[in-house]
Amino acid sequence: MVRLHVAACEGCRNWVAAFSSDRDALRQLAAVMPAGVNWDRLAAEMSANVRVGLEAGECVAPRVHKPVLATGWRVAAAVAGVTALLVSAWWLNMPRAESVALGRVVRKIAQARPWQGGIRAFDDSGPLVQVSAAGIQLQQNGGTLGMSQGQEPPVSVTLNVQGSARARYIDADTGQITITGVYAQ
Amino acid sequence: MRNRVFVLMLGASGWAFGQFGQQPFGAQPNFPQQNPGQQSLAHKIDFPHDAPVTLAGDEWGGSAATVRGGAYAIDVRVALSLRNASQRRIRGITLTVLAQESTPGGKGSISVPSLDVAPGETFSVRGDLHLLRPIGAGASPMVEVSLDGVLFDDLNFYGPDKLHSRRTMMVWELEARRDRQFFKALLDQSGREGLQKEMLASLARDGDRPQFGVQMVRGRATNTEGERDLQFAFLRFPDAPVEPMGGIARIAGNEARAPKLVVHNRSPRVIRYLEMGWIVRDSQGREFLAASLPSEMRLPPRSSSQILPDAALRFDPRTSVESMTGFVASVEFSDGSIWIPNRVELDDPVLRRVVAPSPEEQRLVQIYRKRGIGAVIDELKKF
Repeated sequence: MVRLHVAACEGCRNWVAAFSSDRDALRQLAAVMPAGVNWDRLAAEMSANVRVGLEAGECVAPRVHKPVLATGWRVAAAVAGVTALLVSAWWLNMPRAESVALGRVVRKIAQARPWQGGIRAFDDSGPLVQVSAAGIQLQQNGGTLGMSQGQEPPVSVTLNVQGSARARYIDADTGQITITGVYAQ
Repeated sequence: MRNRVFVLMLGASGWAFGQFGQQPFGAQPNFPQQNPGQQSLAHKIDFPHDAPVTLAGDEWGGSAATVRGGAYAIDVRVALSLRNASQRRIRGITLTVLAQESTPGGKGSISVPSLDVAPGETFSVRGDLHLLRPIGAGASPMVEVSLDGVLFDDLNFYGPDKLHSRRTMMVWELEARRDRQFFKALLDQSGREGLQKEMLASLARDGDRPQFGVQMVRGRATNTEGERDLQFAFLRFPDAPVEPMGGIARIAGNEARAPKLVVHNRSPRVIRYLEMGWIVRDSQGREFLAASLPSEMRLPPRSSSQILPDAALRFDPRTSVESMTGFVASVEFSDGSIWIPNRVELDDPVLRRVVAPSPEEQRLVQIYRKRGIGAVIDELKKF
């Protein structure tokens, strides 16, 4: 549309020709270095200004704390204090049975040596059910819970591979049979 | 400032540890301690309102809980007096004793088979169980006794049957009927002397029956070095609805695991449960019943199925497994009826030596031992 108008309007065509002429003149002037310019000095000033800017940025940046390892007698004393506190708390509060059970577990881990591939021997993770002439026993963490009907041994015990066991007892006086069962799974 | 914070932290830690150790006991100050680490046991007896038995009395003397590891080791010593509130004679009862439903070792049962309790009569149920309950499972150690099932003389059953006690009590009742019939027939044929001779023979077998230690191992076996496959031999009962076709298990020293059995249903009915006996013979010639192999299934008539129980058994360290024998112990059909071996089939020398007699036979033998052959004959005449 503009091109069509310029082609038809002489006044506008003159303006366009004048702008075109000025543009060419500016291009010619920019291609020539101004007289008397010391280029080396100008480059040195520019480099200096850049360095000043970097230094100023460094001054206003947040301070970075370098990690420092705490060492010395204070740390050793604190560690010893906490250790003494833990041992005392354990000794005063933990039931002996619990300490014994923990000891068994630690001993078992040490014997199994899972870090050397001996994990296969350390798979008794829950209670196991065991039957014998004495009756049914539940084993957990190396400890054993027996099952009995008074002082009498069972007349028979049976183990079920689904994880339960039954013990059969007879009342000596009445002959009444009582069968107790326990479910380990 | 830093020193003050450190001292405060130490104090708080000490207080926290004190609370950690005291919590199980401090939460229930109403439970007096009997000896260090032991405390009284809270209990609850919960029978449905329409139950055929009612509670006439209970005694919990000697029941207690002891902290062991991260759990309470609970000793349940209970004696219940129950009344038959139904119009039928009770033949058997099973009670559930629950310390913690989801804990292995947290659930037990007390069953009394071979009963004959008339309507309105009372009878006693005694139990001595050891259970486990995690300390975190509740504020205090507690057990709950509930009814799992009651079997009547017409073989009807009442109860939630969560422990499958219907099936178990049905087997005991059928065995009782079979054995009473056998002894009655013996009395008719051979008189008092014949019955007395059989009682004495049963007593002798009871005394000679071996009982070796067997441990049910969860998960995989611990000894897989030098493992070998060992075939099952089978005792075949002509009358049995199920025929064992073959079987194998992995053996390593004193351990046996991963049994695989193939069974065939030769009956015209659908089978929904099968229980097999597993007899082990060691290198010293000792034979014993190692375990029972139960299997829930749906086995159509004239078809075969494989049984793959996820089981591993560990025997006495001196036991080196040499051979294994299987036999069909009981079968339940889809209609709820049950098959058990007859006395002729049980007359096998191996079975007589290693498998315990029925609870009813043991009861009659005890009556004989305590009161003589006359009392046994009187007992047989009651049924």
